[in-house]
Amino acid sequence: MSRTLRLLLGTAALLASTALARAEPVTLEVWTHDDEGEFTYVLAKEFQTQHPDITVNIKHVAFADVVNDAMRAYTTGSAPDVIGIDNPETAMFAARGVLLDLSPYVAQSQVIKLDAFYPGPRNSATWDGKLYGIPRASNTLALYYNADMFKAAGLDPDKPPQTWDQLYQAAKKLTDPAKNVYGLAFSAIATEEATFQLLPFVQSAGADYDSVGSDGAIRALEFWQKLLDEKLASPDTLIRGQHDSAGTFNTGSAAMVISGPWELPDMSKQAKFDWRVALFPVEKEGSPRASALGDFNNVIFKTSKHPKEAFMLLEYIYSQNHRNWNDFGLLPPVQDAKVDSPQWPKAYAVFTEQMQYARPRGPNPDWPKISKAIQTAIQSALTHQSDAKTALQTAQATIDRVLKK
Amino acid sequence: MTSTRTSQSMTDRSVNFQPAAPAVRAPSPYPPAGGGGTREAPSRRALARIPLLRTLRDGSGFDVVLVLCAVGYLLVFAAFPLAYTLVMSLQQVDMFSLASFDRPFAGLDNYRDVFSRPEALQILKNTVIFVVLSITFQLSIGFGLALFFQQPFPGATYIRGVFLAGWIMPALVVGAIWKWIFAGDFGVLNYLLTSLHLTGGKIFWLSDPDVALFAVIIANIWLGIPFNMILLSVGLAAIPRDLYEAAEIDGARAFRRFRHITLPLMRSTLGAVVALGIIFTLQQFDLIAALTQGGPANASNVAQYWSWQMSFQTYEISAGSVVAVLMIALVILVAALYVRSTEREHAA
Repeated sequence: MSRTLRLLLGTAALLASTALARAEPVTLEVWTHDDEGEFTYVLAKEFQTQHPDITVNIKHVAFADVVNDAMRAYTTGSAPDVIGIDNPETAMFAARGVLLDLSPYVAQSQVIKLDAFYPGPRNSATWDGKLYGIPRASNTLALYYNADMFKAAGLDPDKPPQTWDQLYQAAKKLTDPAKNVYGLAFSAIATEEATFQLLPFVQSAGADYDSVGSDGAIRALEFWQKLLDEKLASPDTLIRGQHDSAGTFNTGSAAMVISGPWELPDMSKQAKFDWRVALFPVEKEGSPRASALGDFNNVIFKTSKHPKEAFMLLEYIYSQNHRNWNDFGLLPPVQDAKVDSPQWPKAYAVFTEQMQYARPRGPNPDWPKISKAIQTAIQSALTHQSDAKTALQTAQATIDRVLKK
Repeated sequence: MTSTRTSQSMTDRSVNFQPAAPAVRAPSPYPPAGGGGTREAPSRRALARIPLLRTLRDGSGFDVVLVLCAVGYLLVFAAFPLAYTLVMSLQQVDMFSLASFDRPFAGLDNYRDVFSRPEALQILKNTVIFVVLSITFQLSIGFGLALFFQQPFPGATYIRGVFLAGWIMPALVVGAIWKWIFAGDFGVLNYLLTSLHLTGGKIFWLSDPDVALFAVIIANIWLGIPFNMILLSVGLAAIPRDLYEAAEIDGARAFRRFRHITLPLMRSTLGAVVALGIIFTLQQFDLIAALTQGGPANASNVAQYWSWQMSFQTYEISAGSVVAVLMIALVILVAALYVRSTEREHAA
C-alpha cells in the first residue's frame, strides 16, 4: 500500500476508535416499588430504545421495604443510581446528605420546568432550599359519594357536602343500621394512612403537623370522634386501611368514602351505582382548602457513577407525565399536563383541581416519628382512652422534641 | 475407639511390625497415614507431638473439628447477631450508621427511654397475657385432641391430618382469614353469634380495645394447636399400653388413669412443649401484623411487634434492640428452666 493510503487508513481507524470510545455503554441501576409492566418498567424500556447506549436495570422492591433496603444499600456502598421514594421520606434522605442535589441539573434542563409542578410535590422534594427529587406522579384525597343513595335519602347528588357540618348531616341521613350501611368510610388505622387522612382536616382548620396541639387540630380530631361515636362510620375504621375502606364503599356498605384516584380502576369495576367525586370538604365556608399528597419522587443517590444519564432518565419520565393518567392511573405532578380524553373525566377534573391544594407531609427528616405521634393521638382519642385535647397535646410534646433535634 | 485402633495397627504394619500394638504409640518421625511428607518436617514434628492434632483425621481430633464446625456456625449465625443486638441496645444507632460499628455509646439511656414510654407497661402486660393464655389453651386443647386421637376409630389418621391445616398455613394467611372472620360489620363470627342469639349486637373483635387482644389470642390458639397436638401424641404413644391395662384391671377409672399414669409419664414431653410453646409464642409476629397491627391504641400490641415497630417504622433501632435484648433474656430463662427440669428427670 502507498504511504498516503496507509496514513488515511490509520487516521480513519483512529477516528473510528474514538467514536466507539465516546459511545461507551452506561448501565443505570433503578429501584422501584412498581410491578412488572407498570409505570417505571414501561418508561424505562422506551427510554432505552431512545438511548441505545444506556441500559436500565430495574429492581423491584416491595413498597414497605423501599426505605429500609435503600438505607441498607447505601451504607454498604451498593446503592442504585435512581430510586422512587415516597414523598414524605425524601427529606429523610436529603437531610442525611445521601442524595444528589438536582437544582443545577434542573436549572440547565430543557425538559423539566420547576414552576410547572404543583406546589405540593415540589415542596416535598425540596430540602434546605435545594431540590433533591423529581416528582414522578402525584395523588391526593377527595370525597367519593354514592349518588343513588343520596337520591334515596332525599339529598341532592349535585350538591355534595362541602363543609364538615354538611358532611356530618349527610352522613347522618345516609347511615342506616338496619341495612348495615354507614354514612362515611375513612381510615384511622395505626399506620401512616391515618395521618394521611387526618392532616387535610387539621390543615383546613388552620393547623398543621407541627401544631397538632392547637385548637384547629383538636376540632379536627373531635370531628372524627363524633363520626365514630354516633356510628356514622364503622368502628372498624380504626383497623382498616384506605383500600379496605374504599372496598366497603364499592359494596354499598358505606355511602361516602374519603379516598384517592388509585381506587378508580377497582371502583369502576365493582361499584354498580352512580359514584361521583367531590372536593375534600373544608371546615367552614372560607376555611383554607387542603388535601393530602401522595406518590413518589424519583431521586438520584450521591454515589451514582452516572448522574448525567440518571438525570436524563428522570427527564424522560417527566416528559411523559401527560400519559400518567390514561396509561398508568396516576395523576401528573404538573399543572399544565395536557391529557387528552382522560378516563373518568369528571373524577379527573376534580382530582386535578384538588391537586392545587395538596400539601406535602412535612417535609421533615424525622417524619416517621412525627407521624407515629399523630397516629398514637388518633388511636387514643378515638378509643376514648383520653380526650382529643390531651391526646393531641401529648403528640405535640413529642413532635416538639423531634423538631428541636 | 475402633478407628484409632485400626489406624494404629495399619501404621504399625507399614513402619515397624509389633505383634502387640501399644496403647500409646511412641512418637514416630512420620505423621499418621496420609499426612504430609517431610517438607515442613521440623514444625510438623513438633505439632505431631500434640496428641489431638495427631488424630486430626480420625480420632478425638476429628471429633473436635466437627464440633468446632458446628460451634463456628452457631457463633456466626446465632451468637454474633445476639451479641450485635446487645451492643446496638447500648449505642445510639441510626438508620444510616447501621453498617459501621463506630457509633456513640449510650450506656443504659436506651433502656431508661424504653421503660419510660407510656405504652411500655401496657405492652408488657399484653405480652404476659398473650403468652399465658395462648399456652394454656393451646396445651389443653392440643392435649385433649391428642388423647382423643389415641382412640382407634375409622378415619382417625385422616381427620388428624385435617387438624394440621393450621400448622401448614403461613401465619400471615391465617391472620388474613381471621381478619375476615372477626370483621365487625360483616364477619362470619358475628353472624353466627347473633343468629344463635348468643350475643345482643355486633362485637367489634378487632377494633374494640377491650376485646382486640383476646381476638388475637384466639387466632393464635388456633394456630398453635396442631404443634402441641403432634408433640403430645408422640409423647402419649411412648407410654406402654399394659400400664393402662393393669390399672384398668385394678379398677382405676379414666380420670385416675390419666392423673396417675399419663401425666407423670408425660412430664418431660409437657415440659418441652411448654418451653417451646413459650418461645414460639414470643416470636409470633405475622399474626399480629395481619390482624390489628398492635392496635387499637396498643390494646393488642405485644413486645415482639413493638420491637419491630420501633426498629422499622420509626427507625429507632436502639429502642427496638432494647426490647429484643429483654426478650432474649426471657427466652434464655425459659430455656434454662426447661433444661434444668429435664436434668432432674435424667438424674431421677
